[in-house]
Amino acid sequence: MFENIALAAPELFTLSTMMLMMMGTMAGLLAGAIPGFTIAMAVVLVLPFTFTMTPVEGLATMVAVYVGGLSGGLMSGILTGIPGTPSSVATTFDGYPLARSGKPGLALGIGVWSSFLGGVFASIVLMLVAPQLALIGLEFQPVDYFALIIFALTVTASMAGDQMVKGLMAGLVGLLVATVGSDVVFGQPRFTFGIDAMEQGFAFLPVLVGIFAFGRLLGDVKTREKAHQPLGGDTKAVHIDYLGSMIEVLRRWGNVLRSATIGVFVGVLPAAGSTISNILAYDQAKKTSKEHDQFGKGAVDGIIAPETANNATAGGALIVMMALGLPGDIMTAIMLGALLIHDVIPSPSFIADEPQIAYSIFLAFFVANFMMLGLQSVTLRGFVLITRVKLYMLSAVILFYCALGMFALNNIAWDMWTLFIFGVVGFFMRALGFPVVPLVLGVVLGRIAESRLSQVFARSDDIGVFLSRPWSLFFLLLACFSILFPLYQKQLAKGDARATWARFYVPLLLIVMAYPVYLMPGSIRPVVAILMGLGGLGLAGLEIKRGLVPQTNK
Amino acid sequence: MTLNRDFFTALVFLLFSVGMFAATYSLPEPMFGQLASWAWPRVILVPMGFLSVIMLVQSQKHGGPNASLKDMISWFRENQNPFICFALFFGFLLAMPVLGMLLGGLLFVFLTLNVLGGWTPRQVLLHAVITAVCVIGMWAIFSLMLGVVLPEGTILRVY
Repeated sequence: MFENIALAAPELFTLSTMMLMMMGTMAGLLAGAIPGFTIAMAVVLVLPFTFTMTPVEGLATMVAVYVGGLSGGLMSGILTGIPGTPSSVATTFDGYPLARSGKPGLALGIGVWSSFLGGVFASIVLMLVAPQLALIGLEFQPVDYFALIIFALTVTASMAGDQMVKGLMAGLVGLLVATVGSDVVFGQPRFTFGIDAMEQGFAFLPVLVGIFAFGRLLGDVKTREKAHQPLGGDTKAVHIDYLGSMIEVLRRWGNVLRSATIGVFVGVLPAAGSTISNILAYDQAKKTSKEHDQFGKGAVDGIIAPETANNATAGGALIVMMALGLPGDIMTAIMLGALLIHDVIPSPSFIADEPQIAYSIFLAFFVANFMMLGLQSVTLRGFVLITRVKLYMLSAVILFYCALGMFALNNIAWDMWTLFIFGVVGFFMRALGFPVVPLVLGVVLGRIAESRLSQVFARSDDIGVFLSRPWSLFFLLLACFSILFPLYQKQLAKGDARATWARFYVPLLLIVMAYPVYLMPGSIRPVVAILMGLGGLGLAGLEIKRGLVPQTNK
Repeated sequence: MTLNRDFFTALVFLLFSVGMFAATYSLPEPMFGQLASWAWPRVILVPMGFLSVIMLVQSQKHGGPNASLKDMISWFRENQNPFICFALFFGFLLAMPVLGMLLGGLLFVFLTLNVLGGWTPRQVLLHAVITAVCVIGMWAIFSLMLGVVLPEGTILRVY
């Protein structure tokens, strides 16, 4: 690992790359500070500027925007009570009350330090785990990849909760969109309906920007009143209390470690991004804190947990993207797009084949956290001023910029039309209650899925291979359980009154998943499988002991 | 039968799935025993049709937002601004071959700002300044600094 870091460091630590990363971090902080302006949007808008850069410069800049964006959300969340990004929703629960109680500097400082520590923790895990995961990824055959994609899509759809049917449909629409243009195997035109431009298909970045940025921006200016609102309300300039807040955060190192671990773990899961991790970490911090009655009134632990977790999630998401080449959420989907533009194709062999670029990205993630820490204090006053810009002004300018950026992608006007078409599609799908994340992931993963499937059938016509390969079976079984997950969650909320099947969901999951793990090569995994099976049987035994009939809540 | 919004959405998806499935029959047959061009789309369209039927049943079972003409009109009124922006963007793309990125962009941003922000003389002046700075600035960055050849349009074409 260290020789790879030594190889990547001279490439990354150049004056120009450091300057670009600074600007990227600034742009991310700025975007994160603006409520309604997602990090994904910021990364998309910065992307066209990286076209002319070297791969390391471009990717380091994108990583810097990502890290900056994750931390920027805390500013508006703490100062105005409006989360800048969904990843800082839980930060407002205690950050805003603490700021309102006359300690905005302390609240901001705690948020900044927590973000920093979460990011640093995740970047260390990223450097240690990603190469190991890539080694496991080398075991994957096309059939396993295909099953993994199916799993990623079902998990994403299951995140839609009650609207899971719509989530699955959105994912399928995404997959179908990716089939337009030419087929993967022979390159023959498909679903072009006689329109020449359609033969190019829909490039996924214009689709992504159309669905996200376009739909989102227009949602922000829906009514005249909303359009005339300033971005972040009326906020006053404050100074961060660095020393006091650092002491407060370090005193609560247990919370920092736990929240960072939750963040990384959630990041590794497909579709479960920082939007979920910040709330999960907050919930755990509240449950374990001795001062849980202070939560919601300005508890320091209530700021540390979400801010540590959301920055750590980015590292987790990057682990999977870098090691397996599969994006798990929107952010990593955009990052994958950025990598492909720079002719960098992540796969299990990528880290071993291109250590310089891979470790440059890891290092950039690490360094960006330090830049974020330094820049937050210098630029805070400016950010506060920018949040006074009216929403409609930002929307009009960004719509134009999206068109310009998407044209610059391939220098073809069709990409601007793609942007427009999917802006409309995204707007209507949102309005009809369809989650758009499965749609986007479907578009991104569609061509990969088809190409893997064609490789499977090129080798054999036997579909039994999906069940005979341990990894494939593992992911397909997980996909089945993930479809049932929203129903399980619903039952879980009923406590002791939950249905009998819900009580056996986790034990059954462990027992069933133990089988493919047992079939895997090596000596450790069969042992893990036996432990999983025994654990599942133990839990099932406990449930049987408690009685099989659901108890009613009194 | 309840004619709610989800019912119509499911119906559209069902018809779309059937239509696209029919379109797969015009795709060529495979060569050398490879995965056919129509195979993957059909793998997608069959569950899509099935899910549309489930959604159709759910729309009858659980109900959903009304889809009367009155509700539709009020929904369109509520979303007036997004529709205007879509129309302006559509016009911007249509006019691109004539106006090019620079003139088209200036016109699009200026009109969008005024439509969303208001038409008082003070606002118009402010919007003109924002348009000029942002559009010309961005155009200059891309075409002069990054070397991207942006559409110049027939009006500004000098050769």
